[in-house]
Amino acid sequence: MREVREIEINSFADTLKVRPWPVTPPPSKEEVMKVYARRKAEEFGKFTEEILGFESVFDKPEALQGLKVLDVGIWRLGNAFASSLLAELGAEVIKVEPPTGDPLRQLTPFGREEYMLKDAERGEPCGLEFIAEMRNKYSITLNLETPEGRELYKKLACHADVIIENYPPGQFDEWGIGYRQISKLNPRVIYCWIGILGQWGPLKDRVSKYGQWMLEPFAQAANSYIHNTGFPQDLLPRGSGGDPTRSGVWIADYAAGEQAAVNILAALYYRDEFSGRGQFIEVTSAEALMEIMDFDISWYGFNRSIKARTGGWDPNLNQYAWNPCKDGYMMIGGQTDRLWYRICMCIERELPQFGRLITEDPFLKEIAARNAFQALVKTYTLTTMWLRENTRAQVEKKLLEYEVAAGPVMTIDEVAEFPHFKYRRWVDIIEDSNYGELMYAVSPNSYQHRTPARVKWMGRPLGYDNAEIYRRYLGLGYEQLRELKEKGVI
Amino acid sequence: MKDLRECCLEELPGPKSQADLEDAKIPYEEYCRRLFAPGREFEKPESLKGIRWLSCTMYIFTPHSVANLAELGAEVIKIEVPRMGEPMRHTSPFNEVYLYPMHDSRPMTGTGFGYMNANTNKYNITLDYHRPEAQEILYRLVKMSDGLTECYRPGTFDRWRQSYRYLQEINPRFIYVWGGGFGYGPKVFGASYDILGQAHAGLASITGFHEDFGGHPTKHTNWVIDWYSGTLITVAILAALNWRRKYGLGTMIEFSQVQACTRAMGYTVPLYHRFGVVRQRWGNWDTQLCVHGIILCGKSDYPDEVNPQLKYDARYVMVSAFNDPDFQELCAVIGRKDLWEKYKSHKQRLAPEAQIEIYRALEQWAADKSRSEVVKILTDAGILAMPVRNDKEVYECEHFRQRGTIRWMEDPTFGDVLVQGAYSAGLMSETPRRVKWVWRTLGADNLKIYHELLGYPLSKLKEWSEKGII
Amino acid sequence: MCDIIWCKKCNTVNYLDPYYFWNWEGKVQCAECRTVYYIHMIQGFMYAGPEEKPGEAPDILPLYADKPLDGYTNYLPGTEGRTRPFQCQPREIYLGKPDMVKFSIRGRPVRGWAPQPPSTGFLGSFGFAWDVEKLSPEVWQEYQEKKKRGEVKDW
Repeated sequence: MREVREIEINSFADTLKVRPWPVTPPPSKEEVMKVYARRKAEEFGKFTEEILGFESVFDKPEALQGLKVLDVGIWRLGNAFASSLLAELGAEVIKVEPPTGDPLRQLTPFGREEYMLKDAERGEPCGLEFIAEMRNKYSITLNLETPEGRELYKKLACHADVIIENYPPGQFDEWGIGYRQISKLNPRVIYCWIGILGQWGPLKDRVSKYGQWMLEPFAQAANSYIHNTGFPQDLLPRGSGGDPTRSGVWIADYAAGEQAAVNILAALYYRDEFSGRGQFIEVTSAEALMEIMDFDISWYGFNRSIKARTGGWDPNLNQYAWNPCKDGYMMIGGQTDRLWYRICMCIERELPQFGRLITEDPFLKEIAARNAFQALVKTYTLTTMWLRENTRAQVEKKLLEYEVAAGPVMTIDEVAEFPHFKYRRWVDIIEDSNYGELMYAVSPNSYQHRTPARVKWMGRPLGYDNAEIYRRYLGLGYEQLRELKEKGVI
Repeated sequence: MKDLRECCLEELPGPKSQADLEDAKIPYEEYCRRLFAPGREFEKPESLKGIRWLSCTMYIFTPHSVANLAELGAEVIKIEVPRMGEPMRHTSPFNEVYLYPMHDSRPMTGTGFGYMNANTNKYNITLDYHRPEAQEILYRLVKMSDGLTECYRPGTFDRWRQSYRYLQEINPRFIYVWGGGFGYGPKVFGASYDILGQAHAGLASITGFHEDFGGHPTKHTNWVIDWYSGTLITVAILAALNWRRKYGLGTMIEFSQVQACTRAMGYTVPLYHRFGVVRQRWGNWDTQLCVHGIILCGKSDYPDEVNPQLKYDARYVMVSAFNDPDFQELCAVIGRKDLWEKYKSHKQRLAPEAQIEIYRALEQWAADKSRSEVVKILTDAGILAMPVRNDKEVYECEHFRQRGTIRWMEDPTFGDVLVQGAYSAGLMSETPRRVKWVWRTLGADNLKIYHELLGYPLSKLKEWSEKGII
Repeated sequence: MCDIIWCKKCNTVNYLDPYYFWNWEGKVQCAECRTVYYIHMIQGFMYAGPEEKPGEAPDILPLYADKPLDGYTNYLPGTEGRTRPFQCQPREIYLGKPDMVKFSIRGRPVRGWAPQPPSTGFLGSFGFAWDVEKLSPEVWQEYQEKKKRGEVKDW
């Protein structure tokens, strides 16, 4: 266990110090064994921890060992997330950046440069959003606007199994390095373009008159996600929360990134198992997020319903919502009769009225009928009457006794300190050679018997791996790289 | 220096066949259109052909992880409880939308649209695992399948002697996936849903309007985290399949959905650790780019429509002009050149006070305009802007129609259904995804699987059916 | 009291939804007997009220109310003069019960209505075709007429 330091904040400079984590130690193995024992699953619990435990991640091989990936994308998280997923699973990912670097490197919340990290060697500041998604990836620079850069790129592309690219539609094709040309040189390449709306079609991706790229949340706006998210104007005034609301993160990019990874891996399977040839894949954020928006579009085709926003509630399930409680917000879920009545039993112990008004009501007896809107109003009003008397921790404890799913709405500091998460390493700390101690969200694919995902390093200074990669794949030496650099090619 | 491989096939450079010539000549957009050829998916092969997967799943999260495989060509057998089916069959928005029948014996019960997209192309059988007879049936299936995905409470399958511990002995190539809320650890038995993931993992705390603006944490619409985490499992499954191709061994994957949610929070995690800053909600604006947010316009685009979503809510526009020249242009368009003078650098524009002032100015300018007017003015000025579309507009959007991402299909059981799943998860030139059917009725393939695949005699099946085993 | 106003005059429960009323001060009208109550809620607790305010105009109506002693007869959202409308709805009409649909919005048959005639084989097995003409002749008939009238479209 790492040593935990206390920090005292006396000045602004102190606020920039690394925070101690974990503040309290995670639960011990013995304590957790007692939890397994509650359902007579000690043996199974032990077996599970033995074969899946996070501690043994580096004892195991990597699933995608040997897979070579070029991530030639800037600005967006779609390509970054896709290549992260592959890199976490063992692929060798080379991020090809223009000599000025991926502009994502410059982004920092509210423009605060003090929240950017400087690498140990050159001291160049880099934003945390970029660092968080720059996992296990090499960084090289290459100026694709120069003919010489493009020639180098072609040679590099011949080594690649996978190319992930996200430049504006047709840009690479115009440069003579798009799928049309690269697939001639390297027929085994799996070439994936990731964009916001598409590289073809009436609404294909545009750049502004001055060359500004289209970024998330445009995708969320295009596919009705924003329209469907947020509180209704009937529950909160418009302009104060009762509006269609975007996700706090660039969620459509994450959706596109993972679907890209799925398609790439499926294409890889097909290539290696059957055809020996690669293919062209196109994933867009707007469409990938639309895929995961459930039946929304199908619903319109059924009876012209346009999904409306419902705030913290869910229009399809009851109970299935978060509502305010004594110290924040509490999520409770339990839709089937079994769970629904368990929630009732739990709440009515302290609020007999709940038992009466809910269990007696004939309209709430049938699982499907409980989803009607008026049933939501009734259920959640009464539930909140109980919640306001209880803190999140109390609610969680009480409902877990009835085996009902309940979870507090937590902020990141609470997430990092939640006992289960600490025990499992939800977030972990890596000592990166460039950026020092960093906390990162552990890949949820890290808990596997044979080939778990892992994080080897976080972030990479711009062009850090030029020497190694150009030497390894193109045989370029120090003098040549120097010359290329002077010409602005790398 | 030219790469030699470019002309090593024949001595001459350039296209090698008539088709090559055509390919090289046509405009790029046309090239893509031809290559992906939406609507002609069934003329192409499937990437996961020959893979058979068992889906002991419920709700959206785990079913979706398998639906991805089914869309890519795997044969998926979904196992549900007899009579009742899984809860998602009984889930429908406001209890309004069902397709009938759910099962022959229940003519008045339908399957709700909650089941849509997560059960594409799956065969459907029923089996009650509690019964001793079920074990042999499942074992037979395991022997001839590549993997299984389940979502039961940890230890439950173990109690029924059908967990990884037992199945890997029957079939060492078997890939066993458990997907659920928390995984091993102190909250191992905590159940989970999409919304719980959003809440528990911190995503809710950064989505929605800040308290100071009157907002509350806001739920991502329908189960987005369920779908998102389901796809992440598919990534793991495909990687495991890839590894198994080389090394011949199956594996177990344990996937915590709540954790997946924390993974999608970008800079939130390192920012907290390094600087103790707890990220908060920032409504419809962006914390790292400005101008890059959603504004409210004064007038709806459809004031006379009866549907309230059109009448009241077609009023929002996404505007993006964070680079200096774009922002300068935007200020000129809305007649507020003073804002450009005041906030000439991106850093200045990003300060919270500046954001409040700038977006307020934008909304003031838009107060007497309709959404489409705003989009037109900005687009004509060369600035990026887009209406916040609703489901009707998405349905009517020519772009998605041409790309085939939204399409009508004739479902073999249920008739005319509009689908957006599978086809919108990415275009593939060689092995595109496809929808063969949206879902099957409960136990629709019992005969096919139990009798034709596993070879149980009909009399036995009848007996089991009467006993409620299948 | 609390998040509900249980009107003792007419035994009606008026539900005050948690988000709108979490921090709120004003007057609410009972859906049944239209008595006006003043309430002041802070963090979900009734800080003051409910206090009858005869003769005063209400600020707001509840979204939903029902009568437990009367077999839970209720006022759905948007009942004029009793409950306030809920505009953020997917359609102008609100059913709250299964919508029986025979044709998709482009006019082709879809099995969105109950009951469906049994068509299965052994043990609930379903084939891969829905023979509309045979199983639901009246829908087939209507479909033919729709076609003639040009109501069947591609989109």
